[in-house]
Amino acid sequence: MTDTLLLISLCAVAATATAAVLVRDPARQALVLSVLGLALAVLFTVLQAPDVALSQLAVGSALTPLLILLSVRKVRRRGRREEDGR
Amino acid sequence: MNAWLVCASLLLVAGLLPVVWGTARGPLGHRVVAQNCGTSVVCLVMLLLAQGYERPAYTDLALVLAVLGPVGTLVFARLLSGELDEEPRWGRAVTALTVAATAPVVIASCAATGPGRAAVKVVFIGVLLAAGNVIASRTLSGAHRNPTETRYD
Repeated sequence: MTDTLLLISLCAVAATATAAVLVRDPARQALVLSVLGLALAVLFTVLQAPDVALSQLAVGSALTPLLILLSVRKVRRRGRREEDGR
Repeated sequence: MNAWLVCASLLLVAGLLPVVWGTARGPLGHRVVAQNCGTSVVCLVMLLLAQGYERPAYTDLALVLAVLGPVGTLVFARLLSGELDEEPRWGRAVTALTVAATAPVVIASCAATGPGRAAVKVVFIGVLLAAGNVIASRTLSGAHRNPTETRYD
C-alpha cells in the first residue's frame, strides 16, 4: 500500500516535468520549475530521504526561480539597450 | 499504510493536480497564485507524512517550506511586477481555502503528538503557513494596482 504514495509522487513529478517542458516562456517556466521542486521534495520524503528533500526545498522553492528571473531580466535589458544603440 | 498516509495521498492528488494545471496555463497572475497554493499544499502533505511515518523530525521540512514558500512567491511578485497586469480572480478564494485546509491538519497533528514542544512546533508551522499565505496573496493583489511603482528597470 505504501507503493500507492510512491506512485502518486512519481506521477506528480512526471506531470510537472512535462508541464515545465511544454511551457515555453522562461519567466513562466520558472513558476512550473518551482512546483517541480515541490513535487521532487515530496518524492524524496516518500523515499525516506528527508535530508535530500530539505536541500531540494531550499534550492527549488526560492533560489532557482530567483536566478532564472534575474537572468531573464538581464538578457531582456541588454537586448533593449542594443536596440536603442542602433 | 495508515490513515495519515491515506490523507496525505488524497491531499497530494486533490491539491497538486489543479496546481500543475494552474501554473501551466492561463494569465501570469493566476499562475503565481497557483504556485503559492502549491507550496501550502505540499507543506500540509509534509506534516501528514511526518505523522504517517511516525518521524517527528520530518516536520522540519514543513517548517522550511512554510518559511521559504512565501519568500518564493514574493520573489515572483517582485520580479514579475511589470507583467502582473491582471488581478487574479480566484486569489482570495484560493487563499481562504488553503488557510481553511491548514486548520484541520494542524489540529489533527497536534492531537496526535500530544502536549509538548512538538505540538507547539506544529502550531507554529500552521501559524507561519497561514500568515505567509495571507501576506503573499496581499502582495499579489497589490502588485497589479501599481505596476509602474515597483518596477525598477
